[in-house]
Amino acid sequence: MTQGLLFFAMLSVVLSIVVGPKFPRAWLVLTLAGSAGSCAVALKVLFGASDWEWRSTFAVGGELLHLRLDGLNALFLVLLSVIGGAGAVYATEYWSDKRYPDSAPRGRAWWSGLLLCMGAVLIVSNGLHFLIAWELFTVCAYFLITLDNQRQEVRKAGWLYLAASHAGTVCLFAFFSILATHNKGSWDLGPMRDQAELAPLFWLALLGFGVKSGVFPLHIWLPSAHANAPSHVSAILSGVAIKMGVYGIIRFSGWLPLPSAAGPVVIGLGVVSALLGIAFALAQNDMKRLLAYCSVENIGVIFIGLGAALLAASQGNALWGRLVLAGALLHVWNHGLFKSLLFFGAGSVLHATGTREMSRLGGLWKRMPWTAGLFAFGAVAISGLPPLNGFVSEWLVYLGLFDAVNARGAAAWVAMPAVLGLAVTGALALASFVKLCSIVFLGASRTKAAEHAHECGGAMCGPMLVLAVICGAIGFAPLVFWPLVARAVVAWNPAWVPPGEPPAPLSLLGPVQAMFALLLIGTAVWLWRRLRQNKVERHLTWDCGYFEPTARMQYTGASFAGIASSWFFWILRPERKLRRPRGSFPENASQIEYTPETVLDHVIAPVGDVVLRLSTAVRRLQHGHLQSYILYLLVGLATMAVLVFMGGLQ
Amino acid sequence: MIMTIVQILLRLALWLTLAPLLPGIINKVKAWVAGRRGPPVLQLYYDLARLWQKGVVLSTLVSPGFVAGPAVVWIALLCATQLLPLGPVGATLSFRGDVLLLIYLLALARFCTAWAAMETGSAFEGMGSAREVSYAVLSEAALITAILTLSVHTGSITLVTMLEPSAGAGAVLLGAGLFTVLLAENCRVPFDDPNTHLELTMIHEAMILDHSGPPLAAILHGASMKLLLFALLLTEAVLPVGELPPLGASAALAGGVLAVTVGVGLVESFLARLAFKRVPMLLTTGFLLCLFALLVAWKGGAS
Repeated sequence: MTQGLLFFAMLSVVLSIVVGPKFPRAWLVLTLAGSAGSCAVALKVLFGASDWEWRSTFAVGGELLHLRLDGLNALFLVLLSVIGGAGAVYATEYWSDKRYPDSAPRGRAWWSGLLLCMGAVLIVSNGLHFLIAWELFTVCAYFLITLDNQRQEVRKAGWLYLAASHAGTVCLFAFFSILATHNKGSWDLGPMRDQAELAPLFWLALLGFGVKSGVFPLHIWLPSAHANAPSHVSAILSGVAIKMGVYGIIRFSGWLPLPSAAGPVVIGLGVVSALLGIAFALAQNDMKRLLAYCSVENIGVIFIGLGAALLAASQGNALWGRLVLAGALLHVWNHGLFKSLLFFGAGSVLHATGTREMSRLGGLWKRMPWTAGLFAFGAVAISGLPPLNGFVSEWLVYLGLFDAVNARGAAAWVAMPAVLGLAVTGALALASFVKLCSIVFLGASRTKAAEHAHECGGAMCGPMLVLAVICGAIGFAPLVFWPLVARAVVAWNPAWVPPGEPPAPLSLLGPVQAMFALLLIGTAVWLWRRLRQNKVERHLTWDCGYFEPTARMQYTGASFAGIASSWFFWILRPERKLRRPRGSFPENASQIEYTPETVLDHVIAPVGDVVLRLSTAVRRLQHGHLQSYILYLLVGLATMAVLVFMGGLQ
Repeated sequence: MIMTIVQILLRLALWLTLAPLLPGIINKVKAWVAGRRGPPVLQLYYDLARLWQKGVVLSTLVSPGFVAGPAVVWIALLCATQLLPLGPVGATLSFRGDVLLLIYLLALARFCTAWAAMETGSAFEGMGSAREVSYAVLSEAALITAILTLSVHTGSITLVTMLEPSAGAGAVLLGAGLFTVLLAENCRVPFDDPNTHLELTMIHEAMILDHSGPPLAAILHGASMKLLLFALLLTEAVLPVGELPPLGASAALAGGVLAVTVGVGLVESFLARLAFKRVPMLLTTGFLLCLFALLVAWKGGAS
């Protein structure tokens, strides 16, 4: 049954690659069928008790095919299926043949390819096949990012992504090769916790998968790639693709023995990533760049939970280890859901106005009420506020960390800063999303483009609505989703079998959140009715008696973020171009503020420069003069002769 | 069953009716220090009753979120108060980790206040919400450190147990830190001046410039509940309320809240509002106070 469904899913996705370019409708049906199939399989494994394993006699690249679906990868497969299906529907309107006759057909094929390869990464259980699927997935993502390759910044972003990804892949090559050598040439993967000498390999995995997951400071490729890709691609990149990196780390930290420093290091990375990610996000004035940096932050939150779980595993502390890991895994889902929702929303705005620049938008709620409402919903969820799902996962992580503090072991010294980091990150995330929502959707339209925006159609709103509903469901009924997460926790560490029931507060939190949501709606309706009873007048915004306000007098995103982001100027290093008004009758003045990618510009770029200069120097050897080449040959031969001669002497 | 419902209703009534008393007391103290007669203590009740009857002027720019915002703020604050134990009467709802729900409910209220302010497109309200969300970063850091202190001290993350004993040796430090957070979160002097007439220097008041009628009443009442919530949290953290007999505990609570309120009034009378540049520094001081309290609690537990 499982096998049949899975092959049906694979077959439909493969077929959709083939028919995709020519037949959009058939592609959509096939992709949705594939997503539904794989989602069903994954849920079956998650709700069932037993794992699914399939060893075939069919060899790919000299290695026998070995597929496996357990609690952990099934959890990621569900996310992939949901976002993959939602994105496919969204793309039919957002990146339609009519608007993009050149790139839409190949976009569909690459989309299905991406889904297939990510699915393969998840279910294969062989190092060689993992590498092949990983590489193909990277390449598919590259071609999706560069769909709109007429624009230079898109090509640049794609190139950076490809380069960074391959730097990570080098580490993975080393990782899997060493693993295979150690296992006497067998690439087969599985639990190897008993071989303590493999522990240092964790660092290689952390580096290789860390690049993909976009954790600070390995995130250099992420902001530009996610901002410049088409929005449905940004959604799956941010929602699922970076989670593949997280998956890699979780998977291999579960299978391999761990070095003792693993937990603190991962928590440290998480705290830094969360804080700096959100600091960069706050300073951005490009909608999609802001969302991209926010992914860095959320990966940080996941890393905090994961690192604490590693710490708990090394100390054999199941009690809070289970909670933090469950929080981290649930946050993988949650972030995938609301970040995709937000990227879809940003895409709708881009679709309607043609700009991602927040300072050119404003007042969009009037023209795009659905998008605005759903975006606000996603913003509340991603800020980790009750009663939605973001709060549930962060709360689980908090619970675990507090328990770690109260256990008063060595772990407390790591857990306390982590709690503090999480709280500050939450407050900064709130600031970022108030800024994003209010500058884009509220107030008055700042430009003509924003004034003439239009609401997107059902194919774009529908997927957003579905994702919002799932976000709400996780928030209101976390108990329904708890068994799935608990199953994944056990798959990670079989010793952490939960005591049967979900942790007691979770069974209370769900109903409380649902009640609270009902109360919210009830109070709002009540207040609105009271208003109508009294009398409502409409006037201009008061603005302290100013009489004729213009849209340009509104607060801007940069000034909104000014206070908090000035605390991070030491790393943000914003660039400002100021043209002051001159003369008695100044004509124009302007200020442009831009926050570049500091790590890229100040760390990677100088190193790249040195490498480039060295290569240029070496290149002088190759100049096309035949005489010199003959000289090289002679010198080479002579050197070899000398070496052979000396070897003979010994 | 009926008893629980009656208890819940009583507790709700207590919070709803007592909260607006606090701003009245503060104003009375300020008037007394300045040698004026001042408005009656019950002034806010009259204001609320009048606002509830009044019509509303809405900006042409605002979405329905402008009205929904204050409603969410009010209900979020009300729900937050129900998590805080009222001394011997206990809390309406108590579970492991409820303290985090409380903090995040306050954050939700902040989100919606700032959201509603940005609806109007007014630069003043933009300034107000920018300040609110930025300074909240520091006060949230201080608040979570205070919570960590209490948690380390009692080994629990349930508000009812956390607030039972006094905060031990670090109680003074913790009290001072929480008092700073109280002033900042409730927009009192020296962080913000609720009586200022200059919109450029406001924080909270700037955010509600365009509100009127029932939504304004919801905001004002919510703000008074928030003040009571922080005053109560401070009192219960510092005093060993849970270890006293019920009557004594109630008296201690009432006395403590009154002392905090009078303290706020005195601070407002004797201090000027800080320049905005200095605000982060003072908040960082509050954070450090809580951090030292945490260290003291940690040491205290180890010995």
